Amino acid sequence: MTDATAPSPRGTEELEGTVFDIGYQRYVGPREGRNRARWAVYKDGLRLALGLGRGARAKVIPWFFITLLGVIGLIMALIAGAVNTYIGPNAAEALDLPSHSDYYGIASIVFFVFAAVGAPEMLCPDRKDGVINLYLVRPLTGSDYVSARWLAFFTVMVSVAWLPQLILLAGLSLSNANPGDYLLENWLDIPRLLTAGLAMAAYTTSLAMFVASFTTRRAYASVFLVGLFVITAPFTTGLAAELAEDFENTAGQWVSMFNLSNIPVHVNDLIFDDVSLITSVAPAGEFSGWVLVGWYFLWTLVPAGLLWMRYRKLTP
Amino acid sequence: MTALLTAENLTKHYDDVIALDGVSFEISEGITGVLGENGAGKSTAFKIFLGLLRPTSGTATILGENASESVAVRSRLGYMPEHDCLPSTVSAAEFLTHLAEVSGLPPTRARIRAADTLRHTGLFEERYRAMGGYSTGMKQRVKLAQALVHDPTIVFLDEPTAGLDPVGREEMLALVRKTHREFGISVLFSSHLMVDVERTCDRIIVLRGGRLVQSGEMEEFTKDTETVFIEVDDNRDRLVVALEERGVLVTSDGHGLCIEGSDESVYDKIRAALVESEAPLRRMAPRKGELTELFRLDGEADPENGKAT
Repeated sequence: MTDATAPSPRGTEELEGTVFDIGYQRYVGPREGRNRARWAVYKDGLRLALGLGRGARAKVIPWFFITLLGVIGLIMALIAGAVNTYIGPNAAEALDLPSHSDYYGIASIVFFVFAAVGAPEMLCPDRKDGVINLYLVRPLTGSDYVSARWLAFFTVMVSVAWLPQLILLAGLSLSNANPGDYLLENWLDIPRLLTAGLAMAAYTTSLAMFVASFTTRRAYASVFLVGLFVITAPFTTGLAAELAEDFENTAGQWVSMFNLSNIPVHVNDLIFDDVSLITSVAPAGEFSGWVLVGWYFLWTLVPAGLLWMRYRKLTP
Repeated sequence: MTALLTAENLTKHYDDVIALDGVSFEISEGITGVLGENGAGKSTAFKIFLGLLRPTSGTATILGENASESVAVRSRLGYMPEHDCLPSTVSAAEFLTHLAEVSGLPPTRARIRAADTLRHTGLFEERYRAMGGYSTGMKQRVKLAQALVHDPTIVFLDEPTAGLDPVGREEMLALVRKTHREFGISVLFSSHLMVDVERTCDRIIVLRGGRLVQSGEMEEFTKDTETVFIEVDDNRDRLVVALEERGVLVTSDGHGLCIEGSDESVYDKIRAALVESEAPLRRMAPRKGELTELFRLDGEADPENGKAT
């Protein structure tokens, strides 16, 4: 017990207060179990991915990439807006300037590098620091943990995928003399860009987190993922071109399928029913839509499933 | 007293290695020490009760639930691991709040509990500092605090004094005692340091090679023995001869002598021998049992008699 005596503001009386140490109090409030635990890990995942509640250094990388992706969308919107304003209404469309269907193709490398840098943050530090052991002795299983982390990163990736597209949509509609008419004429772009964004985010999240689950060092996972996404592109493109000259085109097409940065962009092309800039030269684009969609699901669901199985084994 | 934790024929094999071999015991409220050499099965037993491992056979029941099957029961368990488990860039307050939420507490309550727990473990002033800058003692306190933040019924402490200096060790042992005596949380305490266990625990269980070899109240192991311990400043050899002439069984123990028997006739013989040998007496007392003796014994106790209630 501590007695605290202080002069009154008027200086004429003395106020006396007593602070009691009531000792340890048992917790009698609600215990919300597994759902609360999952939600807590999900929220923590969002904070980790965006560097929220951390120092400035933790915020630099995610917000640099988010800004960069937004700027790409903004530049596309400004160019289209300028063309529509100075050349004439719908001139951007008539000139076939890059639009919603091209955005994911143009920004995919930035998007993949962001995933390569961000996904290891979701899993590696918890294993490196041993925090995973503290999670798993609480009302949370290994699969709960990894599902919550996957969803958290997926949420960030979806937001990052949609935000520039929405900037572009706003730019295109506002540069039109009648924005309402533009939206009515191009309303189909909205579900398309949302679906394509989901596809991009699911693919990158699954693949990046699966790779991150093999190491406790964030840098190793990031370097490997950047290599996987960025280096497979020129390698497979060159090899596919060589094979196309020497053999039947099918071999080149299959090599081109291993260009990991193009896999979700092919799906984007199918969703928009248009060929984007980077896939227009890819031999894999000649495969039927079913093959491309199947290939996408293989590269999305298999890593996600293997990731889930690796963590499920941590608890009986 | 109701058992908080029960092991029935608990067996765990890792391929050809037997980590636990048909162990049965019960643990009720209080502070229970789990003793054993490396590889005795302590960590395996902890992991089974915490739901991290499934036993090969047998049943582990904790707070009335099967430890391998109930996820919900873990909201009433706390665990302080031996090894590092703290992220360096996060403050203790934030870390504890998050782990309280993972234990199922709503966010507002979690924040209050985190602050309270850090106050009780002596880290209130440092709670907003990143844990990377904490000393070993402070890190051990955070590890204990995270195990208590959700107010568990039972807490598992794995080598809580590891790496601490003598002052830090004293403070940690005081916190462990406080955890049960003031907070009302039962403790399962594993340590290699017999002195720590002897001074902290109400009862012990001893594992060796995956089998239970001893269990019971601490008093049973540390009570006065049938041996008198004496220490003299000089003429030690003459004293031994004088004692043996009187038919007393004497063994040497470091600087002192251990004499079998504790009835009055033995004390009479010692007095007469001390006078005859002119050995100046420094210390004489009935010898207390020590936990270290458990590890000198080769024989195994009857595993059927394995109650630590």
